[in-house]
Amino acid sequence: MAAFFDVSFLTVQVLSALRQAAFLFLISSGLTLVFGVLNILNFAHGSLYMLGAYFIYALTLHLTGPAGFVIALLAAPLGVALVAVVIEMGLLRRIYIQEEIYQLLLTYALVLIIHDMAKIVFGPEFKSIPKPRAIGGAVTIFGGTVPVYTLVVVVLAPLVALLLWYLLYRTRTGKIVRATSSDREMADALGINMSALFTLVFAFGAMLAGFGGALAGPARTVFPSVGTEVIIECFVVVVIGGLGNLWGALVGSLLIGTLETVGIIVFPEFEMSFIYLLMVVVLILRPWGLFGRPLKVKALAEKNLGMEAQEISPVHFSVRPLVRMIPLVLLLIVPLFAGRYYQYLLTQILIASLMAVAFNLLLGTTGLLSFGQAAFYGAGAYTVGLLATKTGIGSLSSLLLAPLVAMVVAGIIGFFCIRLSGVHFAMLTLAFGQLVFAIIYKWYNFTGGDNGIQGIPVRPLPGGIDIGSNLSMYYFALAAVAVAVEILRRIRSSPFGATLKAIRENNQRAEYLGVNVKLYQWTAFVIAGAFTGLAGGLYALMEKSISPDIILWTKSAEPVLMTIIGGIYSFAGPAVGAVVFIVLNSYLVAWTENWALVLGLILLAMVLMLPGGAVGFVNEKARGAFGKMGWVRRWAFSKSGAS
Amino acid sequence: MALLTLDSVNTYYGRSHILFDVSLAVEKGEVVALLGRNGAGKSTTFRSIIGLTPPMSGEVRFKGEKVNGLRAFRICRRGIGFVPEDRRCFPDLTVRENLEVAVRREKNTVDPWTVERVYALFPRLQEREKNLGSQLSGGEQQMLTIARTLMTNPEMLLLDEPSEGLAPLVVALLADMILQIRKEGVTVLLAEQNLNFCAKVSDRGYVIDKGSVKYEGTMKNLLADDEVKEKYLAV
Repeated sequence: MAAFFDVSFLTVQVLSALRQAAFLFLISSGLTLVFGVLNILNFAHGSLYMLGAYFIYALTLHLTGPAGFVIALLAAPLGVALVAVVIEMGLLRRIYIQEEIYQLLLTYALVLIIHDMAKIVFGPEFKSIPKPRAIGGAVTIFGGTVPVYTLVVVVLAPLVALLLWYLLYRTRTGKIVRATSSDREMADALGINMSALFTLVFAFGAMLAGFGGALAGPARTVFPSVGTEVIIECFVVVVIGGLGNLWGALVGSLLIGTLETVGIIVFPEFEMSFIYLLMVVVLILRPWGLFGRPLKVKALAEKNLGMEAQEISPVHFSVRPLVRMIPLVLLLIVPLFAGRYYQYLLTQILIASLMAVAFNLLLGTTGLLSFGQAAFYGAGAYTVGLLATKTGIGSLSSLLLAPLVAMVVAGIIGFFCIRLSGVHFAMLTLAFGQLVFAIIYKWYNFTGGDNGIQGIPVRPLPGGIDIGSNLSMYYFALAAVAVAVEILRRIRSSPFGATLKAIRENNQRAEYLGVNVKLYQWTAFVIAGAFTGLAGGLYALMEKSISPDIILWTKSAEPVLMTIIGGIYSFAGPAVGAVVFIVLNSYLVAWTENWALVLGLILLAMVLMLPGGAVGFVNEKARGAFGKMGWVRRWAFSKSGAS
Repeated sequence: MALLTLDSVNTYYGRSHILFDVSLAVEKGEVVALLGRNGAGKSTTFRSIIGLTPPMSGEVRFKGEKVNGLRAFRICRRGIGFVPEDRRCFPDLTVRENLEVAVRREKNTVDPWTVERVYALFPRLQEREKNLGSQLSGGEQQMLTIARTLMTNPEMLLLDEPSEGLAPLVVALLADMILQIRKEGVTVLLAEQNLNFCAKVSDRGYVIDKGSVKYEGTMKNLLADDEVKEKYLAV
């Protein structure tokens, strides 16, 4: 600690914190601006940052010397803005009318696509960008050695902040931007062209990200996944500061920049945890962030418009119970004739289906977008992993404990999360998920840290039934998943499930009817968490080794993707999505190293063309076809009791 | 030719049918009242005209040209100004900024509204020029939204329940201002529940109930028609 009182040391650290804050501010100011006006939390904003870094890399290959560097530094963000214009006008604009989640998903698809495009064009390796000699050296300040480039960054970022202030508060367009972010419809009725404004703001936000990337490129290195790393940090910044608030982004950047620098010196073990902990604490104390204010409830008409745009078919092509048994029978027979690899693949599908169906109890049934399901998945997996390696407990007992532990974790996390709604809820679950990840990732003594747990023993079930082989493990998983899914199905169609749907449709009205909305949401959260934990436990037994990767936020994105692919308004949708996702994933990985690109394009097509999901699409088609033949329809639906 | 005509307009929110064959006409220079209870369809009529909730069928014509189907900002630029019922000033902008945002420069209006001109009409706004929208009283907010809409140089104003929730003294003041605005050559369509307020400012009135027009006539006749008043307007 004595080192802290050393002036030279302090100087170096303060400047390093400021530099970090400067980068964060450049990127998150664009993110928050876009959110304020377009109401879209842009996952691809980090990818635009990455493009900025690659663009300056490509430009400096041809432009050398100080003048060339300056030109590249200014041209790269313009290039990014151009890409953003294409994205906004070509893709985003088509789905403004859809619900928030489809917009999130579209930007997530862009993350995958841009990542692989960068990999294809620039290669997967790390690239470094040379700095001109004039700013490449170091100077001594108060006895501490500081790179000149750090000083450049620390001076430029406040200038950009000043410029932003000027644009937003002193120009007419800036005033229009501020007006629109508080009341879009009113601005429209005052004769302001929203389409043009959206394109402008999206491009401008992207330009800020691109400038951040171009400026950070020479200080850091560039590689394709730099975008996904930076975006989560920026989410933390804007959520802490208050979504849509520029000053929030500034203060949030300074806080996170400082915390990261201090964290690395004082508690290198738990530096990451600190950031997420700060976010969790802020969101609990001030759910709308330090400078934010509660999100407006959308005007009635606007909401209805959204509903209509993705009209859900009221008649579901519901099959008779006997027909429903067919998949189960197939699931029982097929593996007998499949090779070991396919048995393993099918087990994977079962586990993923369980995770997705459990998740959809939150999204499709209750209307809660959780982005932290990986925490419960991990809780289940680590329960099994730790119990199996540290105690002599049987596999079945450890598997039964997995959902219980996940339930407790979900109970605690849910207690805080259900106080928020919409995008804030999603962000808080994300923060908690990342917090759990950060703890497990660094807690070497207990969890094995980033090494994970290898060689998880699979012990015979009571009665001496061995589940060590791929085939027996498959049947074991099938039994567990079948029971779990049936319970979830009954929950969904019970009065409890009906109440959850009522909450999804209109939680205010549910509240007026005397429903304790928060309690119901919490219960649904805990149930979903428990079954996700069960899926995690099964995963640990199947893989026989686990690593903290299964708790990373990208894992939380998986059930979201599966559910959207399959369709959120049908019970079987998420399971179908899981099949598609796992099969695609394993085949794409085998077929091309750019699987993310293909997955991204498929997602993009889904969002733009089939917003009801695959199962919703089939339902719709079935309804259309049967609608033309009245007697078939009467026959098909009268017996199943659906109307 | 009427300045604004609605011809058998049908409007839906999602699947619910709200307006049923609404037809009305407003002549240039008139102040026309659209009377009805809460939920009768007054706001929906306005939203249909300005394009925020476009009608499913029927026609909205302004200066003889069909405007339904155009986006809201285009309809505004044709010369219809909309003042919504819940006022909706931009809370984070100062009074002056609220006005500046609405200025339309490209328009070749003979005698365009300027910040100074609306300040002359609403002196109170000048006093509060540097205050944020969120710091104003209800009456001041109402003045600001009207003033802001005037900045778009409308030929016609749609005023949605301007007297709602205001003190009687402020309502009286508002009535004067509407007459003043009319003198400046702006046609006004006024949605109200307050019959006495309408009696002071308007020439003609329509009564709307459950999404369709039930009565139309001069304010004088309407005031004398106890049956209509009893049936559609009494609380």
